[in-house]
Amino acid sequence: MPNATFHSVATSVAGWSRRMFLTASATSLAVPLFARTSRAEAMDPQTARAKDPRDPANLALTVNGRKHQLALDARTTLLDALRERLGLTGAKKGCDHGQCGACTVLIDGRRVLSCLTLALVAEGRAVTTIEGLAKPDGTLHPMQQAFIDQDAFQCGYCTPGQILSAVSCVEEGHAANDAEIREYMSGNLCRCAAYPNIVAAIKQTKHSMREG
Amino acid sequence: MAADAAPEPKANMGQPVPRLDARLKVTGEARYAADFPVGNPAYAFLVTSAIAKGRIIRLDTESARAVPGVLDILTQDNTAELKEVKFGSGGASTSIQKLGPEIAHDGQIIAMVVADTFEAAREAAYKVKATYAEDKPSATFGDEGLKEEDATKVSERHKHVPKVGDADAALASADVLVDAEYGTPTQHHNPIELFATTCVWNGGQLTIYEPTQFVYGLKNSLAKKMDVAPENVRAISPYVGGAFGSKGQFTPRTGLVALAAKKLNRPVKLVVTRDQGFTTATYRAETRHHIRLGARRDGKITGYSHEGWEITSRPDAYVVAGVEDSARIYGFGAVQTKVNAVHADRNTPGFMRSPPVVPYIYALESAMDELAARLAIDPVELRRINDTMHDPITGKPYSSRSLMRCYDEAAKAFDWSRRNPEPRSMRDGDWFIGLGCATAVYPTHVGPAAARVRMLANGEVQVQIAAHEIGNGAYTVIGQMAAERLGVPLSSVKVELGDSSLPPAPVAGGSNTTASACSAVLKACDAIRVRLARSVATTDRGRAAGFAADNGQEMRADLFRRLGVGAIEEYAEFIPRGGKPDAVKQLYAGQVAMTGGPNGEKLMYAFGAEFVEVRINALTREIRVPRIVGAFAAGRLMNTRTARSQYMGGMIWGISSALHEATEIDKARARYVNDNLADYLVPVNADIDRVEVILVPEEDHEVNPAGVKGIGELANVGTAAAVANAVYHAIGIRIRELPIRIEKLLDA
Repeated sequence: MPNATFHSVATSVAGWSRRMFLTASATSLAVPLFARTSRAEAMDPQTARAKDPRDPANLALTVNGRKHQLALDARTTLLDALRERLGLTGAKKGCDHGQCGACTVLIDGRRVLSCLTLALVAEGRAVTTIEGLAKPDGTLHPMQQAFIDQDAFQCGYCTPGQILSAVSCVEEGHAANDAEIREYMSGNLCRCAAYPNIVAAIKQTKHSMREG
Repeated sequence: MAADAAPEPKANMGQPVPRLDARLKVTGEARYAADFPVGNPAYAFLVTSAIAKGRIIRLDTESARAVPGVLDILTQDNTAELKEVKFGSGGASTSIQKLGPEIAHDGQIIAMVVADTFEAAREAAYKVKATYAEDKPSATFGDEGLKEEDATKVSERHKHVPKVGDADAALASADVLVDAEYGTPTQHHNPIELFATTCVWNGGQLTIYEPTQFVYGLKNSLAKKMDVAPENVRAISPYVGGAFGSKGQFTPRTGLVALAAKKLNRPVKLVVTRDQGFTTATYRAETRHHIRLGARRDGKITGYSHEGWEITSRPDAYVVAGVEDSARIYGFGAVQTKVNAVHADRNTPGFMRSPPVVPYIYALESAMDELAARLAIDPVELRRINDTMHDPITGKPYSSRSLMRCYDEAAKAFDWSRRNPEPRSMRDGDWFIGLGCATAVYPTHVGPAAARVRMLANGEVQVQIAAHEIGNGAYTVIGQMAAERLGVPLSSVKVELGDSSLPPAPVAGGSNTTASACSAVLKACDAIRVRLARSVATTDRGRAAGFAADNGQEMRADLFRRLGVGAIEEYAEFIPRGGKPDAVKQLYAGQVAMTGGPNGEKLMYAFGAEFVEVRINALTREIRVPRIVGAFAAGRLMNTRTARSQYMGGMIWGISSALHEATEIDKARARYVNDNLADYLVPVNADIDRVEVILVPEEDHEVNPAGVKGIGELANVGTAAAVANAVYHAIGIRIRELPIRIEKLLDA
């Protein structure tokens, strides 16, 4: 396991979650999933990749500290790989065009739109989804707790993306004041319009994240 | 820290407890329709029409079928077994249900590809080639070929419109007359959750996972579509990722997915793309209004005339007919109204958050501001002069009405008194400042509902009702109702919703959910209390007298012992006053009849008042809304936290209506142009500044047993007028067609 990837995630989402990721990596069980390809091919993704993009390409995805072997149509987005192949449905499809932010995940600690990211691009990098944000014992990340405290959602559909984006917003140092938070959270649409409460949740969290 | 999010309850308000589903929603564990794991699903992708009017001459699926992984392609040629579902409430969203050959609107479904993977289905869908014989379509107002009809003659839901006295005569003799035309644009709901459908057949049993505001409607409509018995269909939708009216009716895609799954004997999953959602579901149609408002010099209104025009599809006469409500909100004197359905080559419109009142109250409240300006009377005082406790049409009394209290509380918080009534008189550097206000109003609806409640000796409570969690806090407020009536902590209550195997609740529309569902839950809980109380009464008269819902665990355990049972379960059916005796039976069949609003012995409405500050840049005409204050009175509030959030979201919807939202139409092709979330403008976080909600206490025991009026749709009514009125005050020009954008202010 490339520990470097864990390290980069842990660094970027602060000490609180660094412990979490290290714990997760130690306790997780890697379950290899091979589809329509032999083990030998799966072990060597470079040679196994075929020219027709429809033919399954082997790749290893590291998500929430757990490594998964997958064989995917090369056109598969990270979002669809997470949702349809790994059962991680926390990341949501709201537009599939990078316009709404509901599919936001962290790659190597940075927020990205998983609908605009091919799964192959995420190979060898550490992907964090909303399912990996709480501690293994169930303790919520301070940002998740703040979203509850501030009622920062209604239907909840955009919420996983909002929370991961909010964690990044703080980590990037873009939470200095209300105006800056609003600006740097404007890539995540909330049609229920919980915006003022989302700003309040980020303000509540920015100190505890740093202290944690 | 959480003071804003959790307002202190005032009289007749419940505790601001956090949402019961909060943890599931912040951890990604809440399962929306497309999140349910099904074994080995095939993936579907829609193909939609590239023309708005005409016929398909040829549909070539050969190269699509050659794409590896393609399993089936549904077209007009192999879907004949799908039955027609009647258009209307509790039924289909449109009469346009066939895949051809006739094309009735742009983006009509003409085929559906099913493949092993989403990627293959998408690739093949783009390879389906249609050849059309195209006719020239009529897109919207001003086009040739539209068909205009008096809505009362063609609409199933609106057989009459309000009329009283001789409005023409009253307007002719008025001291002051406002005569103006207003327009509202096409809008699409655009919930962030896409329209998704997954169908799974298990023998003759069909399970459907689809986000819906009405699981019983979905179950019964799908059964009709597939020609199977309703008991063979189960609809599951525990969480809906935003709906706003778009997920209340049965859309044409659903039968296709069920049919494909049946043919392949394999689960089929469809997630409709964002752009296809613009044409395969409903929307808020564009409207036009002609208003005449006459008054005496002292501000008393003597006549109100309102004619509306609403775009609809060729086959369906869908209108919202908001004059039904607008005609009752002030003491108007004489009233005449008319609504016209204008048929165009478009998909059928439908319910969108506060359907009737958003366009009609925007027009009326804009005219009210024009009248205030003409009379040189403060806009708040004009509302006070014309405030009424009776329906101007029938004379019936309001069950309760706190409009002016809302105005007074919001005006004070907003510091309305600083407003210089002269337009273009307030300025801060490069920014013109404008202050405006308007009335929010929404009819109180309640429908029949049934609920099952089970209580264990240890105090655990399970509530089952097929109501809908669409962001409205339904799990939470229903749980609170049960906890309150049975005297247990909320943490002991489990609530199950959104599943047609549970007792039915009405469509989550018209803001009726809390009123209807809580009334049924209340009834079931009270039946449990009666059984407990009887056990006391037969054994210990002294203690029976003291029995109350808030008794401790010890006494409850004792009562269960006396009864000799492990659990008490009660099923209750609630039929609102004025409802038909077979209303719950009809509900089981997917039909719901609401009561309330203007239809009962008393008028039942919730009211609010909204005040908006706009800033318009003197150089660029950029429009900002730095502050909005709304005060609302809507009977009992179950939870001040969820209530505040719903009001806040509604007000932001109103700002969006005023300044952002419009679906642009290519008139030559009758096609939606900005059918994506980058070009269809909705507010982002940076667009929204201070939003303040004032919860005004109000008690009304006549509306329904729960005493709640419904709040989901109240706060986005009138907001657009308040913004438009503030824009007029800031810069001195009236924009009478929404949305108000920079380019409309350049000449000012």
